[in-house]
Amino acid sequence: MSIWLGNHTHIFSLWIGAICTIGLYSVLYKENKMFRFFEHLFLGLATGYMIATTWNDVLLPKWWVPFHDEGKWWLAFAVAIGSLYYFIYSKKYNWMARMLIGLFLGVSAGQQFQVFVNDVWPQIYMSFKPVLPHSAIAASAIGPSVNAVTPVEAINNIVFMVILLCVMSYFFFSFEHKSAAMVHSARWGRWLMMFTFGAIFGSTIMARLALLIDRMDFMLNDFGGEAFAWTGNGPVAVLVLLFGLTGLVLYLSLGKKQDEESIEDPNAGNY
Amino acid sequence: MKKLLRTLQTIDRRVLYALLLLSVTLPFFIPMKIPVKISQPTHKLYDTIESVPENSFIIFGSDWSAGTRGENGAQTEALMRHVMRHKLRFAILCFDPQAATLTQDIALKLQSQYGYKEGVNWTNWGYRVQEVLFFKAMANDIVKTVTADIHGTPIQTLPVMQGVTSATDIKLLVNVNPTNSYTNYIQFLQGPYHIPMVFAPTAVMAPEAFNYLDSGQISGMLNGLSGAIEYEQMLGVVGRATKDSNCLSFAHLLIIMLMILGNIAMLLERRAAKLETQLMGGAA
Repeated sequence: MSIWLGNHTHIFSLWIGAICTIGLYSVLYKENKMFRFFEHLFLGLATGYMIATTWNDVLLPKWWVPFHDEGKWWLAFAVAIGSLYYFIYSKKYNWMARMLIGLFLGVSAGQQFQVFVNDVWPQIYMSFKPVLPHSAIAASAIGPSVNAVTPVEAINNIVFMVILLCVMSYFFFSFEHKSAAMVHSARWGRWLMMFTFGAIFGSTIMARLALLIDRMDFMLNDFGGEAFAWTGNGPVAVLVLLFGLTGLVLYLSLGKKQDEESIEDPNAGNY
Repeated sequence: MKKLLRTLQTIDRRVLYALLLLSVTLPFFIPMKIPVKISQPTHKLYDTIESVPENSFIIFGSDWSAGTRGENGAQTEALMRHVMRHKLRFAILCFDPQAATLTQDIALKLQSQYGYKEGVNWTNWGYRVQEVLFFKAMANDIVKTVTADIHGTPIQTLPVMQGVTSATDIKLLVNVNPTNSYTNYIQFLQGPYHIPMVFAPTAVMAPEAFNYLDSGQISGMLNGLSGAIEYEQMLGVVGRATKDSNCLSFAHLLIIMLMILGNIAMLLERRAAKLETQLMGGAA
């Protein structure tokens, strides 16, 4: 039995993958128990996998082996100190957890200096862009070499500077926006941010489609190509099955919707 | 006509899903290729990898899980092909537990095509926790921080790691990441040690990363699945991204078409209602 199972592991994994995919996409019809089951299954698997990997790749080589096998007894303190976090659940002793949280808050706060310098500072100084076209300037005693700026680049830089100033003016709260320049630039700043949010939303759709395409690739080519190879053309067979299933769901759901509408409106069709 | 205009604006979502299913599955069976225009961030990424001297050691950061395989899987494959073709030594580094296995599978699948061997040309450092502390420690002493690869082999014994001791020996950072934790690479490796970095986010995360691209902190970027498609085209290979290319184009066409139809129907309906009001006003 185990040999048979061992020989068919791959095909089993394909079937499980296909069933899970259909189960999870069933939410598109409506919220249902099958979706809930597969959702919890996926979450459980991911969490279990994370725990196992954390032990195998991190705790075992970095803590258990040095502590248990190599005799580094002082690593026992790591568990004791780390466990202090759990005192957060005790009203009487939660000060112990706060000590540890305070320590890490301090470390994070200190790191923020490095974060700012390496993350934000380069963006600030790179925002000062040349807005006039010029030829390349060679390095001299006054300063380093400067790249040439073409007219197209200069226009691009002007657009950048205008957008930057407009968006920044929207977030300028030190005084009331009364002058026409501030009011208009802040308004443009709001519009320009809206364009960005629109771009982010469009990208979100593209990302979701990519995930759907990957699943369909799996269903048709991986699953269909092997599990339905006996049909002669597995991907087409799965495609027909998927369309059949979708058609059935559509027929049932739209028929049900029409029934509900006619119950809600007894005069439907009598106009 | 009125009914048609209303129907176009209130199509049942399940019908739309069925149309979407059609648009992403049928292109798999259509033997045609929709041309793709290579974007500037993709070009820059390609040029950055090309500019790294052969046999240099790079870090291939992979922080994605099965949930974003559709985008990050294709990006990882495309980037790894280029890294292997350009004969660079690399170490896979993951801060997501699933990524270590998923990226390992891709590397194992590709290595025979490019004459690569695990341990000799590449290694997998496996799953690590706490990026910031790891980077800070690793920057000073890679061997002491990483200690062993995913199989438990001490990294100092691996031929791929010869001559690699600290951050200054790393010539490029590649990060495939669906979250904003790529900023840790910028803050604690790219910035302090001036190591060039390229980034492959999901399409959702890409707009935010343009700041870093513009400031030069990131030298190149692949924008989601479309970025991976462009990259495979640049490499001249047909991988998993190219296979999905037509599906993405068809799905986009469907969504654009539905948006246009819905808006036209809304405008026509409004105009008809306005005309009706005017006519009724005139009759009164």
